[in-house]
Amino acid sequence: MTAIDLSIRAAAAEIALIGVTKSYDAKNTIIPPIDVTLRPGEFTVVLGPSGCGKSTLLQMIAGLERVSSGKIVIGGREVQDLEPKHRGCAMVFQNYALYPHMTVAENMAYSLKVAGVSKAERAERVGTVAKMLGLADYLTRKPSQLSGGQRQRVAIGRAIIREPGVLLFDEPLSNLDAQLRHDMRVELAELHRRIGATSVFVTHDQVEAMTLADRILILNKGHIEQFDTPKAIYHHPASVFVAKFIGSPPMNILEVEGDGSVLRLADGQVVANYSAKGKFQLGIRPEDIAVNEGGSIKTEIRYREDLGSHEILETKIADQNLRIAMPFGVEIDTTQTLSLSFPQARLHLFDGETGRAIANAFGDAHSAPVKEYQ
Amino acid sequence: MVENARSINIVASILLAIGILYIVGPLYLTLSTASQSYEYMLRNGLAWVPGTELFANMGKVIHDTRIPVQMLNSMIVAFSNALATCALSFLSAYAIVYFRIRWAGVAFALILATIMLPLDIRVITTYQVASNIFSPLNAVLDFTGLNSLIEMAFGSPVQLELSVLDTHFGLVAPLVAHGTGTFLFRQFFMTLPKDLFKAARMDGAGPIRFLIDILLPLARASFASLFVLTFLSGWTQYLWPLVGASTPDMQTAVVGLARLVPDADGQVPDFPMIMAGAVLVSLVPLTMIAVLQRFLVQGLVLSEK
Repeated sequence: MTAIDLSIRAAAAEIALIGVTKSYDAKNTIIPPIDVTLRPGEFTVVLGPSGCGKSTLLQMIAGLERVSSGKIVIGGREVQDLEPKHRGCAMVFQNYALYPHMTVAENMAYSLKVAGVSKAERAERVGTVAKMLGLADYLTRKPSQLSGGQRQRVAIGRAIIREPGVLLFDEPLSNLDAQLRHDMRVELAELHRRIGATSVFVTHDQVEAMTLADRILILNKGHIEQFDTPKAIYHHPASVFVAKFIGSPPMNILEVEGDGSVLRLADGQVVANYSAKGKFQLGIRPEDIAVNEGGSIKTEIRYREDLGSHEILETKIADQNLRIAMPFGVEIDTTQTLSLSFPQARLHLFDGETGRAIANAFGDAHSAPVKEYQ
Repeated sequence: MVENARSINIVASILLAIGILYIVGPLYLTLSTASQSYEYMLRNGLAWVPGTELFANMGKVIHDTRIPVQMLNSMIVAFSNALATCALSFLSAYAIVYFRIRWAGVAFALILATIMLPLDIRVITTYQVASNIFSPLNAVLDFTGLNSLIEMAFGSPVQLELSVLDTHFGLVAPLVAHGTGTFLFRQFFMTLPKDLFKAARMDGAGPIRFLIDILLPLARASFASLFVLTFLSGWTQYLWPLVGASTPDMQTAVVGLARLVPDADGQVPDFPMIMAGAVLVSLVPLTMIAVLQRFLVQGLVLSEK
């Protein structure tokens, strides 16, 4: 017999959304046409603010919501008109949605029971999954007798017991406290590595996205802002929206104007060299700003937050908020004027109108070029 | 306020005692009267002390009156009322809560309207419909002019007739049309996690399977409480059984009790026997409450929410 850990292993399926749209009526479009392909076995995190359509997208893949138009292809099969049970997907819900009157074992085995799997096989598979998730001692308990983390594990067990090719997660960690959320994140990553199902994980928490994802799909009002690896999204945000959404504290965005040779703030201070004219938005991460290293931009500290590992300074330049992250151990005299400089290699330039990133605006940006995924 | 607790306690106790007296007094009088003989009552008026004739009086009720048959009627009416109300309410609440139906809000409002328009208000129209359940159809045919067309084609208009007066169905059906149960189940379904239905669908369970495997076991307590409540209200109904059934063999026990008082003037009713009948008729709901009071409280709490 093979090791018991390997007995739950899914045949990962590719998910392709082709021109998928969703609207409830003519005026109310939730999702404009969306085209995206998720590779087999890939862990995709769909990230976006609430109301951006990420849950709708997930439910359309699951079959809980109908698509208004377009095709969904899972593992080479068109599934947009199929019932959820015929799509080979399983889902973990935000509030667990466990059946309150069933025991842990019954909860996990319910889908098998509906599918007509024999009692003996059901018990065997429940045993395997329970062992995998550390639930073996709780099989006869009811959900109300479990802690939040255990309930979450039962919900995951219920999803993976059928060995689905696609695992869908609808903000599964948002009901847990911070410590448990971290532990479950680690567990989920581990589980994904072992099961290997194509996973789609919806969240509005950027930490979950950055740590779990092979690729992050950032949604804004139903359309895709960027779909790339966490590294690429952090270092090369494709738009102001992405830049502001990822990173804590988020990237500073300054309104600047190009006069053909330099970029100036509204008050005339020069922040960078650039050869085009017009309005731009300049982005720099709080940790990339050089403080008191002979920079020419002057400002004063308005507020400081000491977070132990680092310190956040709130300042203003040309009437625009600017946050600076100072590493631990750097002493700053809060009463003195700061002199700042923006290292050219760390700057991001966005179009003033569309907010889209202008690639390679300052030559070959960033010291360590990001490798293309896979 | 802690310092006032003593005086408040005393006042509250007095108020409670008055309330208990108000409720228990008539009950005591019922029992004591039921245990005296007719002659004792004729001589002494109100029976303040219990006697020994309770079982004799009850025997009289059982042998000399239609109360036993009428209790059976009550049983049939109350039981079918409770059963039908539970089934209907459960299904309609299921439809309203879990399915996106056009006009679901309107449907629910109409169901709720039955709570505001109880049978007591609609008793005359209900009687008209019960005396000929096709009368609404006839009215529609007349009103739309279809009947005159039919008369031209076939020589006479359609006038269907079927009376359900004096039948068990006729006694039960108007009682079932009541929205409280739907409301109770709806409130209960709303307290369940809203993703439960989706989770069941992902597990491969269709709407029927979800209903049977998930919703029904979860709603057991609500079922029991609604059953007790509707059974009790069915048992104690007075106005509709009085109107809907005219022969003694179809009347319910509560109506039968009232009929034990002779219509003729001048004759003193046999109150001990009537009271013994009242005790007898109350035994069924009393047992019901005693056995299922847990659910009764639960149901009252749920419908309050």
